[in-house]
Amino acid sequence: MKRTYSKIVVLSLVAFSLLLCTGRDVSSADASVPVAIVKKISGSATVVRQGQPIPATNGLEIWENDSLRTGRNGSIGIVFNDDTFLSLGPGSILVIDEFVFAPKQGKFSIVIRMLKGTAAYLSGLISRLSPDSAHFNTPTASIGIRGTKFVVKVEGG
Amino acid sequence: MKKWSSLLVGWIFFCLLTGCATHRAKRDLIVLLPDPDGKGGAVTVTTGEGSQILDKPGYATEVEDVNKPPLTPRPVSENEIKDVFGPALSAQPDPADRFISFLLYFEHDTAELTQESKNLLPEVLKTIKNRKSNEVYLVGHTDLVGTETYNIELSSRRARHVRDLLVSSGIKSSSLFVSYYGKARPLVPTNDEVPEPRNRRVEVIVR
Repeated sequence: MKRTYSKIVVLSLVAFSLLLCTGRDVSSADASVPVAIVKKISGSATVVRQGQPIPATNGLEIWENDSLRTGRNGSIGIVFNDDTFLSLGPGSILVIDEFVFAPKQGKFSIVIRMLKGTAAYLSGLISRLSPDSAHFNTPTASIGIRGTKFVVKVEGG
Repeated sequence: MKKWSSLLVGWIFFCLLTGCATHRAKRDLIVLLPDPDGKGGAVTVTTGEGSQILDKPGYATEVEDVNKPPLTPRPVSENEIKDVFGPALSAQPDPADRFISFLLYFEHDTAELTQESKNLLPEVLKTIKNRKSNEVYLVGHTDLVGTETYNIELSSRRARHVRDLLVSSGIKSSSLFVSYYGKARPLVPTNDEVPEPRNRRVEVIVR
């Protein structure tokens, strides 16, 4: 009697925790989906993901919330899923705060936060299809982007 | 006497700490570059105290502090751009795989393509087929003549007309994504009720 009872308890606990796992709401901005790919690398460049540094290499996938860092002689160029081109010069730090490209659901958003260094940005489809959804933030200003190419230098702290 | 010399030492120390003797304000710099698609983009730079719009390529604004408005846009020399942004620009990915966009124009108040745009259709089709593209965006627009409601419908008709033309030329309809914005997004800004042929368009974006 006692053994069956504890078996039931264990089984219910397992079933319950499985339910918790599968019932998890996966948002359309699931952070573990690649949002960009590294296309150009020179010198020292690193991707920092959840606090872990990953040496950047050609073809490396970039995720939402990743930060990109270049060394004194480094530079890196990436392409997002909507064809936005973003590149960094040496001594730069930048974070991908948000990237959503879901045309079928009409969901578009790209939010980049730059902490220091130099960057070049060429708009992709998000800016074309939803011009108010692309933002590039620095410590001093917020840059709203309407389908175009620009460069930014951030002195940083 | 002693008081003055200690004040002087204090002042020198203060200057060294703050760099106020030869200090030049460090500013963040934002420069608009020529848009390779030639569609005339712009950026708006906003701080806690104001905004500046950059809509002329080669012009820049500078930001000293989040609590100060951005400076009035000024032209920037090619040399300055190369000096500051050379490495960042060299790291830009190759545009060969990037989307290609076309503009198709319409006669006033219709979903009829202009003759010139009809002549452009074969090239649009060739591009879609050569790229084996299964992601083509058709975005419909109107000029500012007429009401918003009327133009929403007109821009929708224009985008759908282009879609129908592409489908009847063999493009899979599942690869075509239609959207429309009425008079809300003119390419060439005008006052309300001003006719402008360059705004009566459908943008075709081929990936």
